[in-house]
Amino acid sequence: MSELPSAEALSERMPVAGIPAERDSTDAPGTRIDGCDVTLPLTETTPETIATIPAAPEADWPAPQSELARAWHDLVAGFGKSWMWVAMALQDIKLRYRGSVIGPFWLTISNAIMIAAIGTIYPTLFHADILTYFPYLMVSLVFWQFISTMITEGCQTFLSVQPIIQQVPLPFSIHVYRLVCRNLIVLAHSGLVIPFGLLIFPTPIGAGILWLLPALLVISLNGVWLAILLGMLSARYRDVPPIVASFVQVLFFVTPIFWMLRSLGPEHAWLGYSPLAAAVDILRAPLLGVAPEPESWPIVIGMTVLGCAAAFFLFARFRSRIAYWV
Amino acid sequence: MSFLRARKLSVEFPIYQGGSRSLKKALLASSTQGNLGRDAYDRINVRALDELSFDFENGDRVGLIGANGAGKTTLLKVLAGVYEPTRGRLYAGGRVTSMLDVSVGLNPDATGRENIVLCGMYINIHPRSMRQRIDEIAEFTDLGRYIDMPVRTYSAGMMFRLAFSVATSIPPEILLMDEWMGAGDAQFLGKAQQRLEELVRGSSILVLASHNLDLLDVWCNRGILLQHGRIAGTGDIKDVIEVYRNQLQ
Repeated sequence: MSELPSAEALSERMPVAGIPAERDSTDAPGTRIDGCDVTLPLTETTPETIATIPAAPEADWPAPQSELARAWHDLVAGFGKSWMWVAMALQDIKLRYRGSVIGPFWLTISNAIMIAAIGTIYPTLFHADILTYFPYLMVSLVFWQFISTMITEGCQTFLSVQPIIQQVPLPFSIHVYRLVCRNLIVLAHSGLVIPFGLLIFPTPIGAGILWLLPALLVISLNGVWLAILLGMLSARYRDVPPIVASFVQVLFFVTPIFWMLRSLGPEHAWLGYSPLAAAVDILRAPLLGVAPEPESWPIVIGMTVLGCAAAFFLFARFRSRIAYWV
Repeated sequence: MSFLRARKLSVEFPIYQGGSRSLKKALLASSTQGNLGRDAYDRINVRALDELSFDFENGDRVGLIGANGAGKTTLLKVLAGVYEPTRGRLYAGGRVTSMLDVSVGLNPDATGRENIVLCGMYINIHPRSMRQRIDEIAEFTDLGRYIDMPVRTYSAGMMFRLAFSVATSIPPEILLMDEWMGAGDAQFLGKAQQRLEELVRGSSILVLASHNLDLLDVWCNRGILLQHGRIAGTGDIKDVIEVYRNQLQ
């Protein structure tokens, strides 16, 4: 590259600040750019450009990977870049509370206020014992917020990072892990009310609390497939985010969060079979020192398997379209 | 050994005209018209790139020439790996660095210094190695004490300085550039040009899309003339420029 002139020579040859006149003339009406395929003789004048295309050009190219393999590779490579999505998730939190003195602990406080308000008024309304109702409500509410935020934010998985997707080739799964990681960090803040609440209203916590870990893991995995599925659907169909948002609102009332399943009576027991009720239940039971409903874990595991399978196949099928959709 | 090879590479954009993007239309279409193959979604496909075949090898400095909408930026995005070709094949060897929109990942609420690490992350550089370069990059920006202020307070030119300094801090193998001449005062542009020249010299392949024919003439040795997403001509950059100029007249 010795023929490259120095910077001074360069700036002489081309206008630095202005845009050259050629640019505008290309847009001007009347310039004939159609029928330019007649310029093909140009290729003939440079036979070496033809020579560089071998007769059997693709013979030594690596075999193309299947859609499934590429989707799997995307998920694994994305997970491997944990430094990236953890840093992005932390940055999300940091920016959300920039300028605020106590930062993300506002979550803890606003949660505490809401729980204290509902937790003292509703027992009277429901004729329930505050000693059992208060911890039940507190734990349910914290985990409901975790789950419902993952669902509503899941719609924005790809839409919210549109400029990045259109500029940088990153594994798509990075944005998914970032979302789940961010919500786990938020949960760590909002969940701080739980230990304090349990000091005031103690529950018979035993070794069963260890079940919280697998429960969190499984729910996070569900967050992953939900974010992939809802993220792709929302990128393709822009009606999905508002639909999901309004559904989540309704689901809050039909899921046993601020009311208990057994106070409904046997004719409404089927509400306990909803995947959301089961998901909240497996997270809640370890902290209340009770066993989850017998059907909760099977329901959650069934949902995980089905959801992962569905999301994976759709991801494999439409992954390459995401960049075009957003 | 770096290379970029393409065979019959095509890109089609579906345009979701108004209603076809809505779930309702899709559901109604599938329930009322069972016919397959009908253009039920009245989807319009724009063919942005049409069966391109080329081989860029070590040392190639390729200039992409063409009118607006000819497919230059789309081609760069395909080469960068942002868009997967809808048909045809692309085979790339070497690390591709794209400078399409230098300001990607700039966060207005973070400070200049934080943004150096953030932007680095988006171009796949670990924050740890970015922190080692942070002072060197901050110095290149010439932003002085503004480097510790939120980017929100920057002027457009200052943002360009920051983004440019980050984007060009890692020597590339395959360098893709879209017309990059943006804001920035004359003093910085001189500096920027020098830095770009170093990058171009250090890269093994350069693909540059620009309307600035003088720039292309100086920096490129091969040219590709794009027209309506097709390769209308290819060869020595000087010949291609000449053909393009003749067309304009």
